[in-house]
Amino acid sequence: MTGVLGVTLGLALVLSSCGDGKSSGDNAGGGGAKSVVIAIAADPLEYINPLNENGSPGIQVAQAMFAPLVTTDPSSGKTVNVMAESVTPDKTSQTWTIKLKPGNSFQNGQPLTAKDYVDSWNLTAQGSTAWKNNGFFSKVEGYDALNPETPDGATPKPTAVKTLSGLKQIDEMTFSVKLKVPFSQFGLTLQYLGLAPLPEEVRKNPDAYKRKPIGNGAYKLDGTWNAGEDIKLAKWDGYKGPNAPDADSITYRYIPNADTAYNEFLAGTVDFVDVPPTKVKTFKTDAPDGWVTAESSGANYLTIPAWDARFKNPKLRHAFSMAIDRKAFADLVGLSTPSKGLIGPDINGYRDNACKYCDFDAAKAKQLLQEAGGFSGPVNINYNTTSATGQIFAEAIGNMIRQNLGLEVKYTGKQGSEITELADTRKLDGLRFSGWGHDYPSIEDYLTPMFKSTGDANFAGYNNPALDKVLAQGDAEPDQEQAIKLYQQAEDIALEDMPLIPLYAKQNAYLHSAKIEPRVSKYTGVQALYSTFK
Amino acid sequence: MTRFVLRRVLAAIPIGLIVTLGVFALVFAMPGDPLRELAGDKPIPAAVLAAKRAQFHLDDPFIVQYLLSMKDILTGHFGSTFAGADIADQLRLRIPVTLKLATLSLALQWIAGLLFGLYAGFRRNGVIDRMLLLSTLVVLAVPGLVLYFAGQYVFGVQLKWLPVSGVADGYPISYLLPAVCIAITGFAGMARLTRTSIVDTANADFVKTGRAKGLGEQRILWRHVLPNALLPVVTLMGIDFAGIFAGAVLAESIFNLPGLGQFMFQAIKLKEGGVVVLLSTLAFLMFILINLLVDIVYGAIDPRVRNV
Repeated sequence: MTGVLGVTLGLALVLSSCGDGKSSGDNAGGGGAKSVVIAIAADPLEYINPLNENGSPGIQVAQAMFAPLVTTDPSSGKTVNVMAESVTPDKTSQTWTIKLKPGNSFQNGQPLTAKDYVDSWNLTAQGSTAWKNNGFFSKVEGYDALNPETPDGATPKPTAVKTLSGLKQIDEMTFSVKLKVPFSQFGLTLQYLGLAPLPEEVRKNPDAYKRKPIGNGAYKLDGTWNAGEDIKLAKWDGYKGPNAPDADSITYRYIPNADTAYNEFLAGTVDFVDVPPTKVKTFKTDAPDGWVTAESSGANYLTIPAWDARFKNPKLRHAFSMAIDRKAFADLVGLSTPSKGLIGPDINGYRDNACKYCDFDAAKAKQLLQEAGGFSGPVNINYNTTSATGQIFAEAIGNMIRQNLGLEVKYTGKQGSEITELADTRKLDGLRFSGWGHDYPSIEDYLTPMFKSTGDANFAGYNNPALDKVLAQGDAEPDQEQAIKLYQQAEDIALEDMPLIPLYAKQNAYLHSAKIEPRVSKYTGVQALYSTFK
Repeated sequence: MTRFVLRRVLAAIPIGLIVTLGVFALVFAMPGDPLRELAGDKPIPAAVLAAKRAQFHLDDPFIVQYLLSMKDILTGHFGSTFAGADIADQLRLRIPVTLKLATLSLALQWIAGLLFGLYAGFRRNGVIDRMLLLSTLVVLAVPGLVLYFAGQYVFGVQLKWLPVSGVADGYPISYLLPAVCIAITGFAGMARLTRTSIVDTANADFVKTGRAKGLGEQRILWRHVLPNALLPVVTLMGIDFAGIFAGAVLAESIFNLPGLGQFMFQAIKLKEGGVVVLLSTLAFLMFILINLLVDIVYGAIDPRVRNV
């Protein structure tokens, strides 16, 4: 259903919240003691390079092989240092100084220094390198010089400037990052695995190391890894950092078909698997003693196009919102809870009653529609045809709008990428579904991408200078509690304007074998990597 | 014979161009930006997008993209996929997987189809014949997808006789379950055609003449009925063999076999026109080759078609 952009599927942080289900099944994937086989329902990886990886399948492996600067403590939700000894903002939160812990090294023996971060980040920020995490550095001063506009069809040329002017090595273990504008949440973003350092020999010739990555994390490649094969990792003795997982060896098995991956688990050949959408109703009986659920780190919405004047009146948007019976819809989706805000429920700053227009009230909805002057023409709902549930969900929402507001509804099925393309070019007619999951655990990572006028996931084409202003104030506020209050004000503005109608927060479910107990945390989700062994 | 082969090969060239152009056009016409499919759910930085678009010539006109793809195929410079996989490497790894699956499934399908078809044809209206007709009806009515997942669940998950998916257990164990599933869906057509062809031929005038002349029943069956009855069966075998690629797309995806079918599935999903055309060209070449073989076999079975 997510279909359109959004839903970053966990990324470094794999989803959050409460688990259930005691594990005592009879699965036994993998070999000896403390080995775990993790099934990932995705096409096999072609390379391991965290700086060129922004999807969950690749980041999961990076999480085992690379250590971040900071991470979220699973018990407290607080940010704690891993490779960093300190992360210190200046008074304005515009310049951040990062000091590394001494004594860490890469798996090839090269000591880990500030130069490795500075050079790896400069390499990624260079547009012609064409690595997927290039966009992360757009906040850093000097980014534009490394990413000049390229005419259509032309290959971006390496620029004369090779380094971000805002990135400076201060001494062997310290470097600083000057941002274009103050950004109070920058410290939180440093836990993203997509910022991991590469050692010098890899930086010189990244292609040569596509299949033999050299990390700085708790696991290294065990033997060789060829195209299409499982990725086998063994514990690396040289890892001196905190938070080393318990497993001696980990195998990542990529199985493109999610139902097949699920069947592999049932046959006892893997220890951990995501429950695919087709098994949401049956997984508890399939593996009665070995399942856990996690309240998702994401949120799902119905998106109203700003470019269609018929939807302009906020009262009309509120009417649509109040015509939706979220409880019934969440039941239909399965493993979901109705949303009453725009933020993921596991995020600091989340309010479960933020939305004033998210309670189902057909009479009030109709009244609001009348006050807004009605709606002309049928309401078109776009759905993703590549999703098994796209049409079902669209029709459910459509029926509620039709019955509760008396409007005519029609449906258009298209491929997700086509819907996104049409929306990006402001040509999409009507409503569509969207979803979002954060890259770093901050309320800001919902508001900026989706609601800031220049946000890179601004699904609705929304633009309100008042909201941009409050966001900028939050970004410039060094006190985290104060910053959150400002961000909540921005959320309130977005809820009043309602470019996105909150729908539901999805839970994710996982199955695990009897020999492991995955780590379950409200803040870091369910993590097979950090399983304990029985 | 040489002239015959040469003529067929030359005739294949314009057909090949039309086929590849058609396939490329279909992939090109698929809605949505291919690089968005690749990026999944995350926004892609403009610089990355520009670099990838330039690398894969996505901003060039359709015909230029097609010609560049054909040039790559003809010169053997296959390049890499959108996701960064070396295509030549992929072919090296994947062709054996598909060939193993295809040969095993075809062997099973042909053996079962011919045996049942011949027996039912010779003993028509017997118990076996009726059972065959009924069972082939059932098989034809079950969609492949259902059969594959049911096979996986029963023999992989419940009975644990065979691996659920993947090639970790090597040949033939890893291939047995998908091959049997493909064979089951394919054997029905073969069995029915063989049976009908035997029945038709057994009632032909020349068979009656043979009988009237006092030929023995065994001689009639093996020397006169069978060679004539097998002509359409050989045609079907050729079509089957050439069509293995289509069957492999579904089976390899469900049973996680890293073959050409799975590669094709991924390429279509990502709208990788170049890869789809490359794989289509391979399939096309195989089709031409097999057709040629079928024609030669035809000549061996039936002298009447030798010089057609």
